[in-house]
This record gives sequence, structure tokens and C-alpha cells, in this order.
Amino acid sequence: MFKKLIDNAASKSPWLFHINAGSCNGCDIELVAVLTPRYDAERLGFKLAGTPRHADIVVVSGPVTVQSLDRVLRTIEQVPEPRVIVTLGSCPRSCNVFKGSYAVAGPLDKYVPIDVSIAGCAPKPEAIIDGLALATKILKEKREAMK
Amino acid sequence: MLPFIKEAVQQLFSKPSTEKYPAADAPAPEGYRGRIVFHADKCISCGMCERVCAGGAISTTSVETEEGQLITRRFFLGSCTFCANCADFCVKNAIELTTDYHMVARDESELIVEGTYLKKKPAPKKPAAKPEAACSAEPETPTVQPRDDGLPVSDPSKCVYCTLCAKKCPAGAITVDRAAKTWALDEDKCIGCGTCQEVCPKKCIM
Amino acid sequence: MDIMNIDIMDILMYAVYILIFPGLLFTCVFGLWLAGIDRKVVARMQHRKGPPLAQPAYDFLKLLGKECIVPDGAARITFLAAPWLGLASLVVTVLFIPIGGLQAFGTGGDTVVILYLLTIPTLAMILGGSASGSPFAGVGSSRTMVAIMSYELPLILIILAVGKAAGGYGVTFSLGQITLFQYLTAPFILDWRLVPAAIAMLFVIPCEVGQHPFDVGEAETEICEGPLVEYSGAPLAVFKLSHAIKMFVMTALFSALFLGGVTTGMLWLDIVLTLAFCSVVTLVCMSLLHAISARFRVEQLFKFFWTVVSGLALVSLLLVWFC
Repeated sequence: MFKKLIDNAASKSPWLFHINAGSCNGCDIELVAVLTPRYDAERLGFKLAGTPRHADIVVVSGPVTVQSLDRVLRTIEQVPEPRVIVTLGSCPRSCNVFKGSYAVAGPLDKYVPIDVSIAGCAPKPEAIIDGLALATKILKEKREAMK
Repeated sequence: MLPFIKEAVQQLFSKPSTEKYPAADAPAPEGYRGRIVFHADKCISCGMCERVCAGGAISTTSVETEEGQLITRRFFLGSCTFCANCADFCVKNAIELTTDYHMVARDESELIVEGTYLKKKPAPKKPAAKPEAACSAEPETPTVQPRDDGLPVSDPSKCVYCTLCAKKCPAGAITVDRAAKTWALDEDKCIGCGTCQEVCPKKCIM
Repeated sequence: MDIMNIDIMDILMYAVYILIFPGLLFTCVFGLWLAGIDRKVVARMQHRKGPPLAQPAYDFLKLLGKECIVPDGAARITFLAAPWLGLASLVVTVLFIPIGGLQAFGTGGDTVVILYLLTIPTLAMILGGSASGSPFAGVGSSRTMVAIMSYELPLILIILAVGKAAGGYGVTFSLGQITLFQYLTAPFILDWRLVPAAIAMLFVIPCEVGQHPFDVGEAETEICEGPLVEYSGAPLAVFKLSHAIKMFVMTALFSALFLGGVTTGMLWLDIVLTLAFCSVVTLVCMSLLHAISARFRVEQLFKFFWTVVSGLALVSLLLVWFC
């Protein structure tokens, strides 16, 4: 029964950690907008964690520049299982307009599997809430798959 | 400090300003650029969208069949900047950016919008084509030579009659009729600026 | 008490005290409830809808289900034992605080014991943070030490003032005696001499708990939650639980020191009343402050507590002593 409680709680308290991998700041601002009183993601249990160790969902924005690649991968590794990786906007998914630049090492799925991608440039806060809601579902699936 | 206390207590007893989003729908405002819809039946395969795409999100594949080329145009929303350049440049308004912003995917394939259409072989047009086709030994390669005087000439085998050259011509010297598939140049008006050659998506103007 | 005379009933009684009421289970549930209404009310004060009341419980359960990572550079045993040490000492603290008419362990020196026990959870956090080997945790630990130094002085002054008011000619250190005195006369909050001390206590509570304007040690936006930076999974869950229990312990201490006279004679009614008072104190001193203020800097915190808050407590002490 206790295990079931934990399984249920897994999707109700997702803590976010946001990594900016060379983003133009558009998506970052929209992510912060999700936490404002108007969209208040905290009512769904979301909280911005200060450190990757506390996080359940890693939100990556930006095309993963050569400089940030190493840090992004190291940060993602520090997140305890079960974890979900969410890409915010077009950049981490495909490098978007930075495609082919010498300074860009992305897209992110060359290095780690992406669980949820939120498209948009930048996505609307409602779309981000959609994506995070999907991420919590995956979080629960992963928790149940964990033994 | 005191005004803040007053504010906080006031807010405590008033209705929160939070939107009920996941429970209630929140439509995007008019003019929001969201998910792309591609009307394949309108496309004339000028390829302009692919050339102007900032994010390199549009790709085209074609398969040769008996009836003609089966062309698939594919829009990858995961690489799209939603700048609407493709929709602006599309002469036939075959591309449309809707207000649908629910673009969340677990799998890459959910972010792909594509449309397929058949580009018929220009075979039935041949009898009505240009006079040189009649006398030529090889009608399949109607090579049009560039003119000596520097005025433009269109290659009918490549031209899709998108009318872009006619629209862009600063002197209004080009007349294109899509229905009759004709391309005509008014040599008196032409100033030889080369704009038509520049804008031609199929690179058929010399 | 002679060790041979403890029969099985006594042992059972103590087991119930420690594990169920007013020990572990009760404090957990009530601490999480307090943390829940705190988060909800802060959200409402900021014009948001806020998380459900059970959110801290969800957080706790979720963290139990997460992977626990011990960093390579950490002192493993200290790192893992620190949160449990903090939790255990908090549960013991609760046994010394009278809730309603019930005090599990009453001694002649309750307040001194509580003072010592209350530093242990914070020290455990410093210990765990230092053991993790992260520079962020190092900065956080040193800041937490400054916070301890800041609030300990006013807390001692407050306890002295209350003890003097309840003790008559001497100073009493027994919480049982303090609440009994208030039961026989009136709650200390109505005594004008002790009002400054009560206000000082309202500032000490959020600092001790590590709530928002005074959370220099855990500042998540600047030093990544300080000593907790490397914690994940179950140890972090225990730290979060300790944080919630601390809210309960401190507010219960406030109601024992200043509202302890509310003793009706019926245990259940007493408990409900105490809990209601605890909730009100939480809302006033933690939620309201959290919602309206930005975080203090370390030296501002120190200055504020050693001048304003200590000053208030000292005024009370002098008034009690000489009036």
C-alpha cells in the first residue's frame, strides 16, 4: 500500500530543473511565465528546484552549444532516477535556425533520449503546461517500471 | 512594509487571478502562429517555401510513378521558428499557420506535418507547346538558349507558371497565365534588371 | 525511577508517546499539514491558486521513491546519517512540549533541554552539508551557523523572560510549570510586559525553521539550497519532513510559552485548540512574512536579530524583572 502511495505521489510533485543550453532566452522567459500567478504551475505541484539532485524533470532550452554540451550532459547525469527530459522549443530538438553553425553541438537527442518535446518558438505557456503534464505521466510510468 | 501586508491580506480574500488552463480551454489570439496546415492540392511545387524557411524545417521528396511525380512536402515543427515566411511567400496560399499551439510530442513523428500530391507529366501539353518542339529531333529536351540581348527567357519544361516573376517584375513586363500555361515577355517594357531570374523558384529564367 | 519497576505497560506507554502521540506519527501529519496551509496561503496572498493542501505530503512521498545519490567526495556515513539525527532530535523535542495538558516527558529543566535539542536539527543539516563536499553546501553551512547565532540569543532571552514571569521569585525552566501558571492566571500573551517577547518570538520562529525572509542558509536561488544541495531521494525527504516538523515544534513552543493557559481539561479539545493556535501562528509569522518580503542578506539578518529582536526580548525581560 505504501508503495502505491509513493507511485501516486510520483506524478503529483514534479520538480523542475531548467538548463539553458545557449538559448536566446525566449523559451526561458515563457517557462518563468508558467510560474507566475496567471498560470501558477505550483497548483499542479510543479516547483523550480535549485539543484539537479532535487529535480524530476529536466527542461532543456537552447540548441546545445559546444561550450554548454559538457555541462548539460553532466547536469542531466546528476538528476536521480526516475527522470524525464523535456526539450523546450525547437532549438534542443533540431538546432532550429542555428543548424550547421560551428558553435552548435546539438541537437540534444544525439546524446540523450528526449522524452517530451514541446514545439514552438517560443512555446505558449499553455503549451508548456501541456508538455509538463505529459512529462508527469511519463514520470509515473517510469516510477512504476522501476523495481 | 505595512502597505504590503494590506495588499497580501486583500489578495488572500479575493479571487485568484490564475487561469484554469488544463481544465478549461484557452484559445490563442487571432493571428497567433501555431501548427502548420499544408493544403497539398493547392501546391504548384515552386519550392519557394523551402528556400525561404529560416529553420530549414521544410523538405521535399519525390517519387517517380507512371502518372507523374508523387511529391511529398514535409514540415518538421520541431525545427520551425513559426516565422510564417513560407506562408507569406506561397503564391497559392497552400501553407497556413493555425492558432493551434498544442504541439507536444513524445515522438518525433508527431511533430511532422506533411502533404502529398501528384505532379502530372507534361505529356498532354506537348502538341500545344512551342513551335520548336515540332521540328526538333528530341522533343524531350527543349533547351532554351539564353538570349543575346540580355532579356529574360523562360524554359517551358521547367516553368510551373507560379506567376512570381510577373509579380516581382518592376516594369510589369511579364505576363503569365496559369490556366493557359503561357509565359510572355513584353520586350519594350523589359529593363533587363534580372529580378525575375532572381526570384524564379525553379531557376528556369535565363 | 527504579529500572526494575518499569512494567510492560510503562514501556508500551512510552512507545506510544514516542512513535504515535505526540511523537513521530502525530508530528509528521501535523507538520505536513502546517507546511501545506503555509504554501497554500502564501500562494493565495500572492494572488495565485496555490498547490493542494497535501502537496508537502506528496513531495515527501515522491522523494522517498527517488534514487538516492551519494557523491564521490562525500563522507558516506555522516552524509546519510545526518538527516535521521535531525529528525530523531525533533521528535524527542516534541515530547518535552506540553500539547494541551499533556506533556510526555516533564522535567525541571524543559526549556534548557529544548534549547539544546532545537539546535541539533540545524547542526545535523550543517553536518550533512559539510559531509557532502560541495562548495555550495559549505557556503550554506557557514550561513546557517550565522543564522543559529542570530536567533539563539533572543530565544534565550525570551525563555528567561517567560520563566521569570511564571517563576515568581526565581526563574523556572519547567514548561509544565509555565503552562500551569498560565492555566491558573491568564495566558502570557495578555500580559503587557511579555508582549515584546511574544513579538520577538514571532521573528525567531521563521528563522529557526528556515522560512523565507530568513532562509539565508538554504537560499535556493543563489546557493542552490545550501546544505541540501547534494541530497536526493530518501535523505532529502527526511530533511523536508524535519523542516515541516520544525514548523510544528516552534509553533507549539510558542503556544506553550504564550498561549499555554488554554487548557480546558479535556485532552481532545486541548489538542484541537493547540493545533488551531499553531496554524494561526504559522500563518501570521511565516506565511505573511514569506509573501511580502524578500530574503535578508546574511549580515542584515545578524544585525536585525541582535538589535531589533534581541532588543524586544530584552525589554520584556527587564519589564518582568523590575515591574
